[in-house]
Amino acid sequence: MTDNLQPDLTPATESTDESLLTRANTIVKAEDHATPLQLSNITIRYGGDKGGAEPVTVVEDFSLTLHAGEMHCIAGRSGSGKTSILTVGAGLTLPTSGRVLWEGDSLEKMGDDEIADRRRALIGYVDQGGALIDGMSALENVLLPAVPDGEVEQRTEMAKDLLDLVGLGRRMRHRPAQLSGGERQRVAIARALILGTRVLVVDEPTASLDRTSANRIISILKDTTSDGIAVLVASHDHELVRLSDTLTELI
Amino acid sequence: MNAVQRFIRSRVLLLTAAILIVAMCMSVFIQSQSQAALNRTVDENSRGLYDILVQAKAGNTKDGGALIQPDIANGQGGISFQQLEKIRGLGGTSVAAPISLVSRVTQNLEAPRLDAMDYLGYNAGLAGGATAGDPTGTDSKKWPAPESVLPAQPKKYRLTATAVSSDGVSQQTLFQASAEGTLGKGQVVEQQTAGGKSIRIAGPAGETGIKFPAPAGGSEHNLFNLSVALPMAPQVTESVVAVDPAAERALLGSAGDFLAPLEKAPPVDTRNAGAIGRYFEQLFAKSPTQQELEQGPDFLGVKLKYWAPLMTQYQQAKLSGQITDASQAIPLIVRQGTSLDLKYSVKIQEIDDSGKVVNDVGTVSRSLDKDYLPFVSKSPFALEWPGSTDHSQLLGNTGNFGQGLYQPAQWSTDFAAAPKYKDGEASANGAVGKSAMPGDWVTVNKLPEKSAFGAMVDQAQRKPVDERSYRENLSTGSKRATPLPMVYGTFDPAQIQKAAGDVNKLPLGGYDPAPMTLQKDAAGNDTAAKGLKPSLSATGLVSQSAGAITDYYGLAAARGYDSNANVIDAVRVRASAPGNWKQAQPDVDKLAAQIRDMGLEATVVAGSAREDANIFVPGYSKDDAGKESDLGTVVQSWVRQDAADAVSGSLTSTNITLLFLTLCGATLLTGASTVSYIRQRRSEAGILRAMGWTQKRVRRWVLEEFGIGAAILAVAGIALSLLSWNLATVIVSASVLLIYFAAAYFAAQQLRHRDVVDQEPQHDERLIAVDSPLTFAYRQLVTNRFNSVALAVAVGVFGAAVGALIALLIDIPRAAGASALSGLASATIALPSVTLAVCGVLVGLVLTLVTGRFELRAKREQLGTLKAMGWNPDMLGQVRFFENALVGTAALVLGVLGALGLGLLLAPYAALWAALAGLLAVLCWIPIATKVVK
Repeated sequence: MTDNLQPDLTPATESTDESLLTRANTIVKAEDHATPLQLSNITIRYGGDKGGAEPVTVVEDFSLTLHAGEMHCIAGRSGSGKTSILTVGAGLTLPTSGRVLWEGDSLEKMGDDEIADRRRALIGYVDQGGALIDGMSALENVLLPAVPDGEVEQRTEMAKDLLDLVGLGRRMRHRPAQLSGGERQRVAIARALILGTRVLVVDEPTASLDRTSANRIISILKDTTSDGIAVLVASHDHELVRLSDTLTELI
Repeated sequence: MNAVQRFIRSRVLLLTAAILIVAMCMSVFIQSQSQAALNRTVDENSRGLYDILVQAKAGNTKDGGALIQPDIANGQGGISFQQLEKIRGLGGTSVAAPISLVSRVTQNLEAPRLDAMDYLGYNAGLAGGATAGDPTGTDSKKWPAPESVLPAQPKKYRLTATAVSSDGVSQQTLFQASAEGTLGKGQVVEQQTAGGKSIRIAGPAGETGIKFPAPAGGSEHNLFNLSVALPMAPQVTESVVAVDPAAERALLGSAGDFLAPLEKAPPVDTRNAGAIGRYFEQLFAKSPTQQELEQGPDFLGVKLKYWAPLMTQYQQAKLSGQITDASQAIPLIVRQGTSLDLKYSVKIQEIDDSGKVVNDVGTVSRSLDKDYLPFVSKSPFALEWPGSTDHSQLLGNTGNFGQGLYQPAQWSTDFAAAPKYKDGEASANGAVGKSAMPGDWVTVNKLPEKSAFGAMVDQAQRKPVDERSYRENLSTGSKRATPLPMVYGTFDPAQIQKAAGDVNKLPLGGYDPAPMTLQKDAAGNDTAAKGLKPSLSATGLVSQSAGAITDYYGLAAARGYDSNANVIDAVRVRASAPGNWKQAQPDVDKLAAQIRDMGLEATVVAGSAREDANIFVPGYSKDDAGKESDLGTVVQSWVRQDAADAVSGSLTSTNITLLFLTLCGATLLTGASTVSYIRQRRSEAGILRAMGWTQKRVRRWVLEEFGIGAAILAVAGIALSLLSWNLATVIVSASVLLIYFAAAYFAAQQLRHRDVVDQEPQHDERLIAVDSPLTFAYRQLVTNRFNSVALAVAVGVFGAAVGALIALLIDIPRAAGASALSGLASATIALPSVTLAVCGVLVGLVLTLVTGRFELRAKREQLGTLKAMGWNPDMLGQVRFFENALVGTAALVLGVLGALGLGLLLAPYAALWAALAGLLAVLCWIPIATKVVK
């Protein structure tokens, strides 16, 4: 690894562009779903507590259309609602009002099981810090999304390829506690891509990382867009903001 | 931030201390309430009709806590009237009620007869005088037309009389006798005699009549019936008990009001049987009024309702020369009805000359039932020919005055040997098994040597039957002479039993019997519980209410004493000390000591209770060859001495054990939760170490926080101890505190520095691949071994504690013992005990869940991650379930084995139930914990 201050937009590992494209081309068909994620007039409000605290409106009347192959960055100060928008977009929480559309279908009409199934096929979510499962190796963490469909064995080679792609081919047997923050983020990104995700939702991927590690993450994210994957990223990293196709700045 | 602030900040410690204090308060409160209720129940129910049973020295020596045989009126006597008066004179005596067995009395019921309707219609010569002036008679013009069940031409009949008695297990035919002859419709015969015409009733020409062997007199026609004299009914043996009517009424309360006539009984010097008989003869010579006849003539202030038997017996005794100047009349209150099973039946068959049955007319029967009164009969023992109507009422009530006994009762003070009892093994619930050692056989069902009229009796018609008798031999009295029974009224044994109460009732032998129930046959096989009915050929073990109660003058008369001797079998003493048993105990003990100082045996029966004794009865019946057969095992209510102390002591210890178990279980789980909590503080400890704190200082830092919790617990414990003023509370509080300290020390030790990252091994390829919620859950538990084991131990301890609590609850009736008091007492503490156990289970459950909740934040993040990866709600639920199921599976071993071990230690009889309860508790924990994590 190098300590470049600028993001390196070339593939971060010894794997080739072809491997990624091949994987992407076989799974993602961007032309079918030009707008995989759409947020329409979203308002997110958190209720007050029993102690009498007033409800807080974090996001009000927010709209966003995410196109295939586009990287959209949501920037803003801490507490401005970036993560809230991402969790709503990923279907992990529902907005107070407004609509979330996945490939044109509103989440309002879906049950929990359907949301889970659609999320698995459409969205890869990368939490702040990676949110890896302790006690499981990097490879196992990457394969976790394949468990519900019983495709762990079939996806194992792909998982290894993805870990190679993010530069962790030699650390796939390590556990989260044995990985650095940047490595954990990259494992999380690989995990988010394992099922052929069309939308990558990434929360603060470079926070608390050194510049070199941050640049490596940014380059991986940028690479995915070239495969038609839409990336929705929340960050106040200037480099990430600069390289994003579109930007929303929350006040 | 000081230790108090840190303690408050660390919610878990605060919550744990709070839960422990609440558990302590609730447990101690419930336990103290339960204890109070137990004491109240035991005290209130341990003082019955009387407090002390006084018997003659060496008459019945008993060890403390032994079972008292249900027979204290045993005919042994030994206590004098002077001693009775001395007992009454003691300051602490409220009531001293003597009781004695007077005698056995054998009597024949009367001469039974079979009445066949043979009504000849109104005939002034036969009936005119009988109805004159009798308002209850029917006007002669309204008499119905003659009718008869007998044929105009005599037919040959065979009558078969049978008497059968049954104790409910075996049936004994006491006798069976047949007689044949011709019977036909009667007719009025007018004969010309020297002084004019005479009218008589006669049978049709050719009628032979039917005659059973002597003393039966044969058949005869009368105005309304053809009467056939039947063989005598079997003799019935009754016992007579003597009491002091005034003391007995004081003892029994209103249930003893039946004794009032005895208090008015004529004084001893006016009881000469001959004088009384002559008084009645003189009374009847003046033609008593109808009202006097119905209600009984007034004899020295006593309405003698049942006067007919006295008169009958007086006249017969006078005729046979049995009555002497020394003969006395004995005042009696007789038992209502009888439970003696005796059925007398007559089978009527029409036969031809060859003896072949040509028509079965029918069988009529009569039993000794509630219409029967010992010593007196309310109606003649007559059987009705099938199809008969009794027209004798046409004459009015006058016709019934002849009712009563026809044979004088045979009074006897000879008692056969009573059975002795030998203790066997005690059963699980403390009930004692016993074996009866049979007494002597006595012969019953004999006929009298002579009939009432002096004629010899044909003894061949009756086969004597051997039965066991149940009284000691007694040789007392000097001047035996035939006494006459004077029946003043009746008593209902059930009323007396009711008044005696259910718990501290001491059976009084023949006066207040304790029935027996057969539970196992002679081969030891279980039988349907069957109460043994008193019968004429019974074992003698089956007691029956006294046939009659008399007063002490009657006792002396029956035994032939001129003056009162040591004839009192027992004295029942009620102490004047008021209040419940505990309050009165010192005074009762003091009174008992004073009575013992008089040279008498004084058994304190207050604090005793009924208890069923299993008795094996050998030599129950004897066949013609003289071979004896066993009955089997019967259950009879005896009395357990000192039952109150035993019940109170064992239930108190059970209760306290329950309390300990509840709190110790909670405390152990507190330890487990504390350890889990410490793991949460490990990073904080690492920071402090980084700041230069030593291990020792870090430990002190932790212990200070626990010290606050311990101080709060100590304050709570002291406050509770002072409030309850109970040693158990002090011990429980101290135990909780001790275990809390131990948990704290152990927790502090866990904060030693560990190089978590560096020491973490690389991924082990041997681990099961994660490809399902089950394998995911397994991997998580393996990764967090310490937490998993801590939780499994907590759940296991929880299961073991539940098992032990259940074992104790199940064991309460056994621990309480087998007496009736134990049933009441265990019922009293059942609810508080269940509440206490439920409280303990809930505390344990809450604490296991609290232990689980320490990992909740990490789990929530983990589940959030899985959700973000597209795991649907079902799969997330499976992850939660499998995690808890695996913990529960690991905990099962500890839970079941722990419950079994504790069960064996605390209540061996319920150990298997404890293991089952432990298993269920752990299995139930799984879904509950799954729900909580959700």
